[in-house]
This record gives sequence, structure tokens and C-alpha cells, in this order.
Amino acid sequence: MYRGREGQWAFVLHRLTGVALALFLLLHVIDISLVMFGPDGPFNAFLAFYHQWPFRIGLIMVIAGVVYHAFNGLRIIVMDFTGWGVRFQRQLWYGVIGATAVVGVPVLIKILPEIFGAA
Amino acid sequence: MASAPRTLKQARATYSTNTELAWWVFMRISGLLLVFLVFGHLFFNNIQIDAATIDFAYVADRLSQPGVKIYDTFLLAFAMLHGVNGLRYSVEDYVRKPGRRFWTKTILFAVAGIVFVLGTMTLWAFSYDEMGAAVRALQ
Repeated sequence: MYRGREGQWAFVLHRLTGVALALFLLLHVIDISLVMFGPDGPFNAFLAFYHQWPFRIGLIMVIAGVVYHAFNGLRIIVMDFTGWGVRFQRQLWYGVIGATAVVGVPVLIKILPEIFGAA
Repeated sequence: MASAPRTLKQARATYSTNTELAWWVFMRISGLLLVFLVFGHLFFNNIQIDAATIDFAYVADRLSQPGVKIYDTFLLAFAMLHGVNGLRYSVEDYVRKPGRRFWTKTILFAVAGIVFVLGTMTLWAFSYDEMGAAVRALQ
């Protein structure tokens, strides 16, 4: 198996997060569409089910996937539309990881206590 | 597209239109827009509030605001097109047999179409203002 360096990891992570996010999107539209059944419909019961801690951890992973996919997508745009993007793609990827952490850590600090603080 | 073209004639037949180029450009433009749309969506529903407090009343209240409906319509349309096209790229790459690839894509597009209609109905087919008022009257 070909074992590339940062560029290949960037691609693999972009694919994995992309597929996961697209599947989550389909599921998310379906579950929110349950509001159509009105206040006495299945919506509240469904959401209560999703508010259990394993799903909330899953939601944090979805958010992490969004943040990585967004920043790496910007890296792809820079690589495609500037003359210097590909030359610095490795440095840009470390920038993507850094930016993901800069956004992700405060999100964790905000959400983790909501999940485990109340228990 | 079946397998990679091997002759100039095959290449011309395969690439007679620029559909793939148009999708390539679309992925970059929609991606840039989605950075802002999705970050905003996450900020409103996961950071400003505790996501575990979301219930019917919260969603009905949001979906009774025209601004939210328009925002979510753009979010739904761009996210679905970007996401389903991304899934299509993966199917083209990993489903090797042409017949199986065709059916995988057909099922993918059918599911995506149904989900898109469901999402659009959720946003526009009901008066959550009335539904929300009814809930508040009960509380």
C-alpha cells in the first residue's frame, strides 16, 4: 500500500470526514423533519433519545469533522487557485490542524461540561 | 463514466461536455459558502445554547422566523448538493464494477431526492408559528 506523507493524510481525512458528514446530513434532515408531525408527534421523544451522552459524544465528533473538513477545504481552494498553494501544501496542512485545534478546544470546553457536568 | 478513456476518440466522447468541470467549480464555491453557513448553524444551535435543551418548542420557534427559514434553505440546498456530489465522487472511486456503480449512484440520488423534498417540506410546508403558539398555550 502506498504510504504518502502529510498530503495523503490530508486527503484521507477529508474523504472520511466528508463521507461521514454527508451521511450525518441525510440522517439529520430526516430526524428534524419529524417536527412536521407537530408538538404531539414523535419529535420530542426522538430528541430525548439523541440527547443521551453517547450520541452527544458522536455530535462532538461531527463538529470536529466539520471544522477539519472546512479548514482543509479552504486549503484545497488555496492550492487550486493560487500559484504558491501547492508548494506550501504541507505547511498549510499543519495550519489546518492548528486551526482545527484552535476552534475545537474551546468547543470541547463549552460542550463537555454540558454532557458530564449535569450527570 | 465507466473506465478511464484510452484513446483520443474515447476521451473526446467521455469529455464532450464540461459537466465534471462545472461540478469541480461548484464544490469550491459551495464549500466556501458552507464554511460560513455551517459554522453559523453550529454556533446558533450548539454554542449559543446547550444542544441537549433542543425540543419541539425550540425548533418550531426557529422555523417560524422567515430569516431562519431562508438561511436553512440555503444551508439545505448547498449542503445536500455538496455532500451528495462528494458521496458520488467516493462511489466513482471505490465501486469498481460498472453495473454496481450505476445502481449505487441511482439509489444514492433517489435517497438524496427524497431527503431534499423532506427537508424543503420541513422548512416551508407548515406554519410552526401556529404550532408554536399552540405549544406555548399548553405550557
